[in-house]
Amino acid sequence: MPVLLGEGFLETGRMPVLLVACGLRRDRAMGIIDQLNSAGAMPVLEKMIRFAGARHTLITHNIANLETPNFQPLDVDPASFQAKLAEAVDDRRNVNGGVSGGLEFASTREVEVLSGGRLVLNPRTSSGNILMHDRNNRDLERTMQALVENASMFRVATDLLRSRTTMLRNAMSERVA
Amino acid sequence: MAVISANIANADTILDSSGNLNPYKKRILNFAPGDPSSADPVGRQFGVHVSEIGKDENAIRLKYEPGSKYADENGYVPYPDINPQLEQINAMSAARAYEANVVAAETTKTMMAQVLRLIG
Repeated sequence: MPVLLGEGFLETGRMPVLLVACGLRRDRAMGIIDQLNSAGAMPVLEKMIRFAGARHTLITHNIANLETPNFQPLDVDPASFQAKLAEAVDDRRNVNGGVSGGLEFASTREVEVLSGGRLVLNPRTSSGNILMHDRNNRDLERTMQALVENASMFRVATDLLRSRTTMLRNAMSERVA
Repeated sequence: MAVISANIANADTILDSSGNLNPYKKRILNFAPGDPSSADPVGRQFGVHVSEIGKDENAIRLKYEPGSKYADENGYVPYPDINPQLEQINAMSAARAYEANVVAAETTKTMMAQVLRLIG
């Protein structure tokens, strides 16, 4: 099962404690953490990672049931998710130039956003495949393609997020990368 | 794969372990979605499990062997009705599904490592 990020990436560390120890008030320390969490592309990357992680669960479920009679593969449409994400990015850009601030991602029929930013997928069954004699609607090639594409999306998002966090870490430690 | 192997291995088995005439019954494996053994309620919805390993009680073919001591009054001996070619096709299909699952597990492992590198 995929590992998803927690409620806020940097909140899981000792940052608030360290900032309070440096003499900052707790609410001010949490404000700094929120700004770091929502700086630049980080909220977008976090959403991409959450979506790709949740979709990976569906794809692996489909692969596990390749030989299951009457099984209908489940999936969500990544293109519609990306279109919604693009809309959210545009809205954020219109509000503050896209430099900082939270990402308002509205729930769709397939992707539901819970409190804390957690995503719940409501998948649909695909209808474009050939129905096999065991009434399984599998398409191994298409499923493996979806697996690789989704993993690539996940990798791009994690690599970009890592470069952002490395930059932050370097800034905090006053080092030049 | 174990069930298919057992079917192929026993394609000509007409006696049971006690030596009595009791042709081997072809085993049929049935899968069902979900994993009932998972402790996590969400995990129980995903994955796959073996729902049952059934026997095909009617999978008997009669072979004319009048000289056999197991022949009936008409000279026919009951054999398991197992088609080795069909079992080979099932084995190839199972091997293909196994490979796909290994790739999925490898991909999951890679994704986990990528997330862990974020905090490393």
